[in-house]
Amino acid sequence: MSDHLKNLRVQAPAIYSCRSCGMCGNKMTSNVPYVCPLREVTSGFDHFYARGKIIIARGLLEGSLEMTPDLAEAAYGCMLCGNCMTQCGATDRTTAEPLVDTVGIVEAMRADLLHEHPEWVAQGYHLLLAATRQYDNPWGTPRSTREKWCRGLDLPRTAQDGTGVLLFVGCTIASTPALHARARKAVAVLRSVGINPVILGRDEPCCASVQRRIGALDMARDMVRRNTKALNETGCSEIVALCAGCANMLANDYRSAGLTARVRHIVPFLAELLAQGRLALHHEYARTVCYHDPCHLGRHMGIYDQPRDLLRVVPGLRLVERPASGPNTLCCGAGGGMRVFEDGARALEIATVGLLSAREAGAVEMVTACPFCELNLDAASRSMPDGMPVLDIIDVVHAAVEGVKE
Amino acid sequence: MKSEHISEIRAIVGEAYVTDAPAARFAYRQDASLFGGTDAAVVVRPGNTDEVARIMALASRHGIPVVVRGGGSSIYGQPPGVPGENLLLDMTRMNRVLCMDPQGMTVTAEAGIIMGRLQEACNSAGFYLFVPAAPVHTVSLGGWLSGAAGGGGIWWEIISITVVLPDGTVVRTGGGPGTSVRMTGAYSRIMGGPDLTGMFIGDGGSFGVKTEVTVRLLGLPGVTRAAIVVLRNLDAVLEMMRRHVARVNPHPFDPLLVFGPGANELFSADEASADTFTVMAMMQGHTDAEMDARREAFAAIADELGGEHTQELDALADMMARGPNEESEMEMFGLGFFNSLGVAAWLPFNMPRTRMAEVYPQLVRWREDRLLEAERRGFECQARFEFMAPSDQCSVTGEVDAFFKDSPSPELRQFVRAMIRDYQEFTHGLGLLDVYNQGMMSRLNAGSWSEGYRALYSTLKKVLDPKNILNAGLWLDRTSDDGV
Repeated sequence: MSDHLKNLRVQAPAIYSCRSCGMCGNKMTSNVPYVCPLREVTSGFDHFYARGKIIIARGLLEGSLEMTPDLAEAAYGCMLCGNCMTQCGATDRTTAEPLVDTVGIVEAMRADLLHEHPEWVAQGYHLLLAATRQYDNPWGTPRSTREKWCRGLDLPRTAQDGTGVLLFVGCTIASTPALHARARKAVAVLRSVGINPVILGRDEPCCASVQRRIGALDMARDMVRRNTKALNETGCSEIVALCAGCANMLANDYRSAGLTARVRHIVPFLAELLAQGRLALHHEYARTVCYHDPCHLGRHMGIYDQPRDLLRVVPGLRLVERPASGPNTLCCGAGGGMRVFEDGARALEIATVGLLSAREAGAVEMVTACPFCELNLDAASRSMPDGMPVLDIIDVVHAAVEGVKE
Repeated sequence: MKSEHISEIRAIVGEAYVTDAPAARFAYRQDASLFGGTDAAVVVRPGNTDEVARIMALASRHGIPVVVRGGGSSIYGQPPGVPGENLLLDMTRMNRVLCMDPQGMTVTAEAGIIMGRLQEACNSAGFYLFVPAAPVHTVSLGGWLSGAAGGGGIWWEIISITVVLPDGTVVRTGGGPGTSVRMTGAYSRIMGGPDLTGMFIGDGGSFGVKTEVTVRLLGLPGVTRAAIVVLRNLDAVLEMMRRHVARVNPHPFDPLLVFGPGANELFSADEASADTFTVMAMMQGHTDAEMDARREAFAAIADELGGEHTQELDALADMMARGPNEESEMEMFGLGFFNSLGVAAWLPFNMPRTRMAEVYPQLVRWREDRLLEAERRGFECQARFEFMAPSDQCSVTGEVDAFFKDSPSPELRQFVRAMIRDYQEFTHGLGLLDVYNQGMMSRLNAGSWSEGYRALYSTLKKVLDPKNILNAGLWLDRTSDDGV
């Protein structure tokens, strides 16, 4: 069989489960100001939101539409945030899982386009993949620089007794000097509860989330297979990820490849320690903050309460919510490779809307739990005349543990 | 379409809001129906009435076929126009609330606004639009008025519509600036001339492009009560309807929803419910005492008719109740609920209440016969859903739907399409008409028109749209004499 549309064919059941009603583009309630942030900041034609993309996918499968260069705009104009799936509300009556996996459909469309017509895919995505081939990470940072963040911390590289906790820092934090302090704070917080985490330092692999999201599915599968072996060899029973994208990828894509360790994002890990009385957040952090749910952590992993549980017990901290929060949260704009789409212009517009909404809710700081969200929101904030500080929740937890004010 | 025409359109609405790219255009080839969307040469998202007027004038000059689309939520397809040559107007960019007038109790909005957005704006201002049967999160205001207003309550609340005629002329109907040049705002539909507003309601968009609509508002009912009882047979249901509408009409806040046996199976595992009807009365008003009194009045009728209560249904009714400033614990079924059931054979009906006892059983029997055929052909029916509600004093609107297990196979969709079409031919044969004036349903409805009505429509269409450019082929065959 030809491998034409080989990835979209796998998604046929999801594609044909869509009734094309348009709720994914048009729903509005008091908690859902709109569904698709990208549709709001573009010309708004139907191919910018889920229904149009799925109709296009069906046309490709049925042969009534051929691939053309403008397909790239439909395929890559998406944050893969999954809000359309949430608002659609159609679920499998047996599993209660969303019936129309728009994220899977768009990833498959990207994969087939990238495979069959790479010349139509923007150069920025090719650069990410080329960097992965050369440096094993999408940001093109040499392996030798990946352990700069942990210099002087003297952290173990393997579990001594098979019960260790592996701190998975992720490419974005390891490759971004401005975020190195974040990883060091995470270590400090873990040490405050008696956990000296294992790290992989320069040998920490890229989790393959970015590659998968932009359509390099074969590359991502190879990376998962290779990484699973390396992660199992650490002997750690638990992997704690600092990045929401890594956590989602490791938790959901590595199990079938044989990963033995339990995977969690650091937020639920710390929330559990808090509930057990092992983590004490006793220093004041007197700020009114808004928590932005990263899509990978919220909609894709179902983690909404734990970050709020952590923030609410910090003395002096006042947590406010935007109208669209929790499962209805609107993506920060950086998901699904949007920092590359149209050179990131749309990503910044979307982030600006999110920040303005937080300000209207009374927040003076934005807190999130994903370096992608943080960097994009921060970039938008810096472009605003009156932006607000954007932090990671680890910053707040660390301040509450050690009494250090940012 | 000629490139110079596309350039002219770009100059009118701006480069960003015009596309002739193949994938972008293809996204409009489907809507919520199994009957298809529009095969367009170019898709345009106009931003205001003036832009629509200039586009229509251009289309009229050059004979360019135009199809208008709102939320794309029809269940019978869109007008075919001239496939491959259409200029498709995607109206959803025109989604602003132009004027909320709390003193005059009206709202004016652009016609592309999705009903949910309009309802939210009204609710925020303390008002309410009565649209119980509208799929509010998918349908646009203009689309609802053009294609489906007959069943949804809002018909009577429309005061004025701004319409762009096929030649680009802008008309404002209703008692207000349209009928008095010295008036600033619309306040009454019928003042100053014939009710031309009504002419554009239910027209399927064939007489003009709706761009702005003024709607009369109702005060937001702050208190909701629900009562749910089980009735054993259709006769009891119809008597309940008769007494209910006699008691509550014209009050618009007390919809009575009746679910048939198929729907019961979806809500309850109780086999005893397999041949009963579940009657849900929603009571909405302004004080707890008022609503409690209404619930008691409903309960008295239900008792007289042998209505039975169950703990499960009483608990459901309690969940739906709310007081002032309280959120109900439960929403009515969203579209997602139905979308989860599989490929839908929507089989709606609207008929005089007095014909229900005779006709309704025939509709259910017709569906069951067709489901036997589906079974023989290997198509799995996953759910049945029967629903009926008095739409006013005289008529009942409802559905006897069936839902089939998903399949990418074209045979299933062909079967369901044929089932929908055959059902409508059957109901038209019984003397019924459908509330939807969309796609293939408009052609079917037009097939039942009397000679005089058909002549009147054709005359109006020829006068308003002499080149037959707007939504051509919606009601009548584009190439026939009376189709212009």
